[in-house]
Amino acid sequence: METILAYSIIGGILFGFFYALLGLGLNLVFGVLKMVNLAHGDFVMLGAYGAYVAYSTSHINPLITILVEIVAFGIVGMALYYGIVPRLLKSHDPEMLSLILFFGVSQAIEALATFAFGQNTQTMNPNVFGNHPLVIFGQQFQTAWWVSVLVSAVALALLYLFLYRSKLGRATRAVMGNREETAASGINVNRVSTIAFGIGLALAGIAGALTPFMLGGIYTTMGVGITVTSFAIIVIGALGNPLGTIIGGIVYGVAQFLMQSYLPSWSAMAPFVLLLIILLVRPGGILGKGARYA
Amino acid sequence: MDALLRAKGMNTGYDQLQILWDAALDVKAGERVVVLGSNGAGKTTLLKSLIGILPLWSGTIEFDGHSVDRLRTDGRVRRGMAYMSEVGIIADLSVEDNLRIGGYFSSRDALKSKMEAMFKEFPILRERRMEAAASLSGGQRKMLAAARALMGDPKLLMMDEPSAGLSPLLVTEILRLVKNLEGRNMAFLIAEQNIKFLEVATRVYVLDSGRIIFSGTVDELQTNDAIRRAYFGVDAV
Repeated sequence: METILAYSIIGGILFGFFYALLGLGLNLVFGVLKMVNLAHGDFVMLGAYGAYVAYSTSHINPLITILVEIVAFGIVGMALYYGIVPRLLKSHDPEMLSLILFFGVSQAIEALATFAFGQNTQTMNPNVFGNHPLVIFGQQFQTAWWVSVLVSAVALALLYLFLYRSKLGRATRAVMGNREETAASGINVNRVSTIAFGIGLALAGIAGALTPFMLGGIYTTMGVGITVTSFAIIVIGALGNPLGTIIGGIVYGVAQFLMQSYLPSWSAMAPFVLLLIILLVRPGGILGKGARYA
Repeated sequence: MDALLRAKGMNTGYDQLQILWDAALDVKAGERVVVLGSNGAGKTTLLKSLIGILPLWSGTIEFDGHSVDRLRTDGRVRRGMAYMSEVGIIADLSVEDNLRIGGYFSSRDALKSKMEAMFKEFPILRERRMEAAASLSGGQRKMLAAARALMGDPKLLMMDEPSAGLSPLLVTEILRLVKNLEGRNMAFLIAEQNIKFLEVATRVYVLDSGRIIFSGTVDELQTNDAIRRAYFGVDAV
């Protein structure tokens, strides 16, 4: 009994870092723009296929693919921002229009990905990182897991350093707090938002490259589910608060592991029940304020 | 003396609703100009369009000899305009981070000395420098808002209802601050409905339903019957 409990908690915390990474890009974009990027999960899916294709065709280590995807997704994110968001912000109802528009982007990516990669579920060899299982308190975790967790933790730490230790990061937090007041300080909020959008998509790319190892098989229609999961994570933590996403990811991971261990047939529901409880008890999320922005 | 700020024929509003009608005003270097207007007169709209948060439908704005009406807000701020909104702070950031955002374009050394000057002017901000700005009282928020705007070393500080939500004692403090800043050779454009701000005004505009209906000195304002009735009460002056 105690072994299962220990496994669930440790595994949940480890997985929580990955879940936090999964939600972080979405939360960063929401924090800066107050818009939900409904195509977030589809970018994660593209990141997953990037790692899969690179490994299956050229045996490129996913850690190398991650570096390439950070740059590629970052550039795509910045281009997407410039192409879409300034026009959205000038519209009468940018929040609603953004939902429709990003839903359209999500559907287009899904259709193009299905055209390119087919409808079959693909898997990657979990021994791609070697065979060095991690043992914590007597619990053994496979190599792909702890490497993914380590990469997630490094990405989270770097994002934290960016947001809290750099000038541009401070400006990003200022835009998250109040876009108009930040502009009134002479900061080009569009430039800051563009970079944040690029970082958001780069994080989606990193999470995507780790997805085959953490979530199992990958398929082109998985984006919607990932967006929903990511949204649950960031609402549990606190919408618009990157630190809250880490808490949200860990709570989500532990809840899911506990349910998988003790009530496996109900485990898929657990995170959403948790989400409902959090919304009822603390509407702003665990680290949030009383009211939310949207 | 040439005007530091010169706006002409300003028309703007929200969606289809026009708020400002052919508004025009000048502010000279070092002047303290008060725009007096009741709630809904268009004061905030006027300042937001001057700083570029709200786009002009038509009209021109010149600042320091250059046309700025096509510049974004950040471009206008970098030319020396500053805007202190009614909110004035970024509540989620700490007091110190608010000041750092205000002095975003300063070098590391300049930022340090400017922050030190602000802490000297507003000692309470030093005491609470690591706390979230949201935790400050109404008066402390105004101090932080003013300090944040001053961190950019503006040539013109536009203040939107600095007395809003403050007790009479704190309003006096804000007036003292405006007077204290006289030596900086900085111009003020203060949008207010509180006539106490006429104490610091060198010139006054009166805004009513989005139109400038009076322009002149405080003395001229007090001898204008219609304005007297509207803002001072008939027997008050």
